Amino acid sequence: MKSVADWDAVVVGAGAGGAATAYGLCQRGMSVLLLDAGPRFDAAVDYPLTESEWDTRDFPEKAGSVGSVTFAPGQKLIGVEPLLMSGSKGLGRLVTSGTRWMEKYHHVRGIGGTTLHFTGESHRLHPDAMKMKSRFGVAADWPFDYAELEPFYVQAEALIGVAGPSAQGARWRSRGFPLPPHPLSYAARTLGRGAAMLGLDWQANSRAALSLPWHGRPNCNHCGGCNMGCPRGDKGSADVTFVAAALATGRCSVRPDSPVLRIEAGSEDRVTAVLVGHPGGTIERIPCSHLILACGAVETPRLLLASDGLANESGEVGQNFMDTLEVIVGALHPDPQHGRRGLPDDAICWDFNAPDAIPGVIGGCRIYNASAENELRGLSGFALRAVSGWGRAHAQSVRRWWGHSLHVGAIGESLPNRNSRVDLDPDQHDQFGIPLSRISAWLDESDVGRLRFMAAKSRELLAASGAEEIFESYSSWDWFGATHVFGTCRMGADPATSVVNADGRNHRWRNLWITDASVFPSSGGGEAPALTIQALSLRTAEKIGKDD
Amino acid sequence: MRRREFIGIFGLLGLLGGATLWRHLTLFWRPSFGERTVQTVTAVTDLMFPGEGLPGATALGVHNRIVAMPDFHSKMTNGVDWLDRWATNQGASDFLALDEGARLAAVGAAFESDDDDARQFIVAIRYYGVLNYYSEPVIKAAFSYTGPPQPEGFPDFQDPPK
Repeated sequence: MKSVADWDAVVVGAGAGGAATAYGLCQRGMSVLLLDAGPRFDAAVDYPLTESEWDTRDFPEKAGSVGSVTFAPGQKLIGVEPLLMSGSKGLGRLVTSGTRWMEKYHHVRGIGGTTLHFTGESHRLHPDAMKMKSRFGVAADWPFDYAELEPFYVQAEALIGVAGPSAQGARWRSRGFPLPPHPLSYAARTLGRGAAMLGLDWQANSRAALSLPWHGRPNCNHCGGCNMGCPRGDKGSADVTFVAAALATGRCSVRPDSPVLRIEAGSEDRVTAVLVGHPGGTIERIPCSHLILACGAVETPRLLLASDGLANESGEVGQNFMDTLEVIVGALHPDPQHGRRGLPDDAICWDFNAPDAIPGVIGGCRIYNASAENELRGLSGFALRAVSGWGRAHAQSVRRWWGHSLHVGAIGESLPNRNSRVDLDPDQHDQFGIPLSRISAWLDESDVGRLRFMAAKSRELLAASGAEEIFESYSSWDWFGATHVFGTCRMGADPATSVVNADGRNHRWRNLWITDASVFPSSGGGEAPALTIQALSLRTAEKIGKDD
Repeated sequence: MRRREFIGIFGLLGLLGGATLWRHLTLFWRPSFGERTVQTVTAVTDLMFPGEGLPGATALGVHNRIVAMPDFHSKMTNGVDWLDRWATNQGASDFLALDEGARLAAVGAAFESDDDDARQFIVAIRYYGVLNYYSEPVIKAAFSYTGPPQPEGFPDFQDPPK
């Protein structure tokens, strides 16, 4: 059996965290093997945005690109929440069972991971959101503060080519964004007039989409299709940024279609190898000097728990799962908008983002022009959801209202609780016999209170913008469709209550590190997590191998 | 058919006339998923997506794509049964014998019904019908901003829509 590692480090997961870690290690002269369970995507071939039937397709699924998870039964829905019940005029109520619908964990396996599918919002955390325990008595503190992370935000933004405004309130900057912000779309400006009437700040969102050519990549042409995969390469997904930069060092080997099934532990508190599954059932053993897990807050705890509970001395692996707390409201405006034109989610309001910004509830949120997440991307989606009925009246209404929709969304802080976790499903296994992750997600009253505020503000903004008829509203109250998940391998100073230390290293296993959102002690007030994952990863990459 | 039912039917003949009996008998003898079901699904699709100045759904073959969905066959059969029962209760031989106004009323009644099969049938025809009909190139061409977003993107994204 081979016992000597061919690489200085093995990174598992080639999404936001794994790719940035690999790049950071290669920059330091280390050799890296970057593994991912999923395939390599070919932007020119796989993404549908040039196809005539683009609007009937979604982000492509390729063999191995969709992992399986299971869900514990959904939470029983209590009371009547008229602002939070999901549904549309055309399709009716989404959930009629009386329990929260555990629909999906949106996750892409492949080189680039979920950044291939993401909208590309590029956010720093609010500094106060990193001190939720000491400042507000909830969740847990990050073991360092914003100032510690700030230089790594700068590095990540520079490599990606983030386009953003000169200032973003409390999230101070030592250096401006590398690229100027994208101009607001016509629809975003319509919403901006409503925001001004309400006294809200409405600014360009910071985006991992190029406003000018950058490091050989073209600028964005505002097609609105980020979630379906960017065929131009202007969206800053991990494959065209960190993976490409790691490969350019000549010290990185990338291996798609390589699911890690198990971690092998050795003596002296060091892990020794990973076992990789191959089609046909063969298993390859890959020795590791350093092992970095970056599979996301669902798959990373699964891998540890499936490796005989490795790194779970605290019992916290899989605990503290945090969800995506979200509201999206769509309405019809008297004037045509065609809001799909332009960069998705191009405008944002940070006014309620601080942890104490929402009256009566701890934990903030952001409000934004939700032109992407609603999946109302084409005529058929509009005809299905925005207009009820059928027959001649339906046809006439589709013709009258096509292009008049506006969407406002809000994403808020998700606080951990003891009912929300990821564990191993005792009954369901993958093709290699490894138990699947089972997600239990629970909303506390404070989460519901935050959702009510988010829904009310979203509706206020639409009304102030001149939109007259709400035709759909979706919320996490009755619908789990998480994209951003956090917390299941919490970072902290105390080995009794956390899985990794402030450097991302496991408290016991000296060469085991984690660089994904599972280490987040708190989720932030609605910030998209990819940039923070990347900054954390670059920071951890500076620590690996320095003292052993 | 048992004797009591036979006598009952002829009793009805006296009360309601031969046409009513014929309607009930044709219902009773109809094949489970065959030409008549296809005809009714086609008629419902045509009714729900008439075109209004553009080609209707059936002219574009949308109904063929719906009836080609084997997972949907039992729902279609049950839905057509429900519509035919509704029609016979209104004095018609079946759904296909109704005029447009009555067909719309039947479809509306199915959608509002407590019968899960009936409601799901209409919901499914609407769902697949809308997705297929409004994805047809000839229909999309009649609306602005429906073409593939790449490779041009939207150079006019800051301007009022054309």
